[in-house]
Amino acid sequence: MRHEFERNIGFRYAIDLLEPASPYGRAKIAGLRFFSPDERPELERQLQNVVRTLHHLAPLAPEYEKISLYMMPLKDIRRSVEMCREAALSETELFELKRFCLQSVLISPVFARIRDASGIEGIDIRAQEEALGLLDPENARAATFFLPDASSKALLAIRKEKRALEEKLRRAADRDERARLMAERAAVAAREDVEENRLRAEICEGLRPHIDGILRCMDGIANFDFTLARAKLAAAYGGCAVEFSRNEVEFVDMRNPRVADALKERGGSFTPVSISAGPGAALITGANMGGKSVALKTLALNALLVKAGLLPFAKSARLPLFEEIFLVAEDGEDVGRGLSSFGAEIVRFNEMLSRALRAKGVCLLLLDEFARGTNPEEGALIARAVTRRLNGLPHVGVLTTHYDGVARYAKLHYEVAGLRDMDVAAVAREIAANRGDGVRVIARHMNYGLYRAQGRESCPRDARNVCMLLGMDAEILKDIAAQE
Amino acid sequence: MLKEHILGFRSLSIIGMCKNAGKTTVLNRIIRELRDEPMTLALTSIGRDGEAVDVVTGTAKPGIYVYEGSLVATARDMLRFCDATREIVGTTPYSTPLGDVVIFRARGDGGVQLAGPSMTAQLIELTNAFETLGADMTVIDGALSRKSLCAPAVSEATVLCTGASYSRSIDTLVGDTAFAAKLLTLPRQTLWSGAEAGDPQAPKVRLRRKDGTVLIPPEGKSLAQALRAPENRDVAGVFISGALTEATLRPVLQGGADIAGVEFAALDGSRLLIGRDAYDKLALRGAKLAVARPVRVAAVAVNPVSACGFDMDPAELLARMREAVDVPVLDVMNEDGGLL
Repeated sequence: MRHEFERNIGFRYAIDLLEPASPYGRAKIAGLRFFSPDERPELERQLQNVVRTLHHLAPLAPEYEKISLYMMPLKDIRRSVEMCREAALSETELFELKRFCLQSVLISPVFARIRDASGIEGIDIRAQEEALGLLDPENARAATFFLPDASSKALLAIRKEKRALEEKLRRAADRDERARLMAERAAVAAREDVEENRLRAEICEGLRPHIDGILRCMDGIANFDFTLARAKLAAAYGGCAVEFSRNEVEFVDMRNPRVADALKERGGSFTPVSISAGPGAALITGANMGGKSVALKTLALNALLVKAGLLPFAKSARLPLFEEIFLVAEDGEDVGRGLSSFGAEIVRFNEMLSRALRAKGVCLLLLDEFARGTNPEEGALIARAVTRRLNGLPHVGVLTTHYDGVARYAKLHYEVAGLRDMDVAAVAREIAANRGDGVRVIARHMNYGLYRAQGRESCPRDARNVCMLLGMDAEILKDIAAQE
Repeated sequence: MLKEHILGFRSLSIIGMCKNAGKTTVLNRIIRELRDEPMTLALTSIGRDGEAVDVVTGTAKPGIYVYEGSLVATARDMLRFCDATREIVGTTPYSTPLGDVVIFRARGDGGVQLAGPSMTAQLIELTNAFETLGADMTVIDGALSRKSLCAPAVSEATVLCTGASYSRSIDTLVGDTAFAAKLLTLPRQTLWSGAEAGDPQAPKVRLRRKDGTVLIPPEGKSLAQALRAPENRDVAGVFISGALTEATLRPVLQGGADIAGVEFAALDGSRLLIGRDAYDKLALRGAKLAVARPVRVAAVAVNPVSACGFDMDPAELLARMREAVDVPVLDVMNEDGGLL
């Protein structure tokens, strides 16, 4: 299943940051799936493994580096291994299988040391010694594939005959004699081909009982590689362990790598977002430019990461394994589909609600500036009614709005501090000094933190300050003030 | 012996002016002559060649016969047409219509079918991989026409094959072959750094003034117009990224621009898509033609036998060709090579 908002919230960005070493790990990520509530034990085991790996990244660094180096040259040959169940493999396929078995012999002991030291569970990587024995009967451990002369009496005899003819050919000067020897040699080469085919079929016959073991080994590598990639990502961006709850969400200091990286590029930094919410509707209000949407998307991102088996980017995380996660937000694609943004929003909301009403488990329902596209009076009415409806549901709902009078119907009310505590005159002076870069200066003074704002009714009036600081026409500003 | 002219090169390409120029015969002769040298030979091709029957003309073609110890890179599906006893030593990610390219070591003598990578960068990588595996010389069999001309760019030297199949007229055959050899062996350009010449992002046309500054003709202005502009009197040279074609050159030659002493350069000889006529006119006007990657033509091989049954007199062809080029010339059909 895919969510249409995966790109919008920075989920794809985070997934693209994963750096598996092997094609098996890459395939795992390409086929990334979301866990349903009844798969919680498996998800918990995986997350536990990632946390344990994360904790051992430093002490076991040389082992992780070594195993990554061993995994890197692997090729994904699962298709030909599957094929070996029914047909004989070609010499190239047997070469690739031998290479895999040789790598498994290198990987397995390093993995065992890592597993024992870090305590990861449910992953096994066994050295494919038996299969390797069949592919390397002389135990030369060379990373090549060759059927030795001694593979069979017949092959030995054929090769001897062929070599003798080749020897004669090297010395033959006469054109006719060469042609005769070439024809003779071609006949022997054809017999060699038949015998080699028979021997390869025999090897494949012998490999057949080991196929399940080989595929399990590949699965083990895939799971381990994926686990290691998740742990490294968590180390780079600050991931934490997850505590699962029945229906309560409590995130402390969440981060969003995409937004954080974009801010870093511009010399800014990401303000971590903390939020708790339970069944019903929680509301986030706040100034324009204050980061309400970023807060909501960061929540969506981290809840979805957990559902996909990744550690959330936060200091601590407690949340249910949501049955479904929905986000209704403007994403700029509506126009292309011929719907007004308001129309598209309503259609999406309807779909979300009907699916949430049918859900057996707990869902996460996120609405970003719902009904922003219509006139403020009606928009506020709609936002209030939607908030009341969500309050009656067993799901966790979080909405952002800048409409007044919605907060009274929400179970929880957060406010983005925004420019509340700002010294307007000081900021105006700073903008004057930084000619023309008002947006950047305001962004720097904006407090993106979320605060509990229980009991407050109206949204903060920061828009006027923003207009003023960004140098809007004086006459208009005067008019705004007069109207108040 | 041909080997005297090729020993010492790390890589050698064999290219043909046309089908049935005798490329495979030349390749087999090289392999044969180097057989008893204390060296490991590695073989591959640009694209596919070496089929028992030529897929284009349907005529019978000799196979490539390698000796024990040689390294061969060919497409996976071609392995079943190789009857040398072999040890698979590596796979590569280079895909061809006949499967990925695989490397094997011949554990006996025998016939092989070559179908190697078709991209220049891959051939360079493959040559390095061969060296890691112990190869002393990589021989690249160029495929048909245009594509094969990339081969010299990745090899230190080339053998140019030509023959009666190219033209019924011996004058045309000799003249065009000599001209092709001339284009391949143009002198190294003198005005651009290696990075400038090889920059894949560079605009198609760049002009260098005598003071060293680079001038890029504005959008919509042709090379001829740029050279004619009075303010560009001091242009020392032109670098063409991509192909230098007749279409680009004709207006330059017909217009009144003073190009005496101006150097026209391209990446390598395969990028010069110009006829003898244009070449002669450039020379007449005092312009110089140069390349960033000059190629050494080790020898020219001629095949007096045509695929359509029209043969030329071997002695006359050999004599005429020797007159026209200043590199060794050999007759591929003659057992001793007719090589002086």
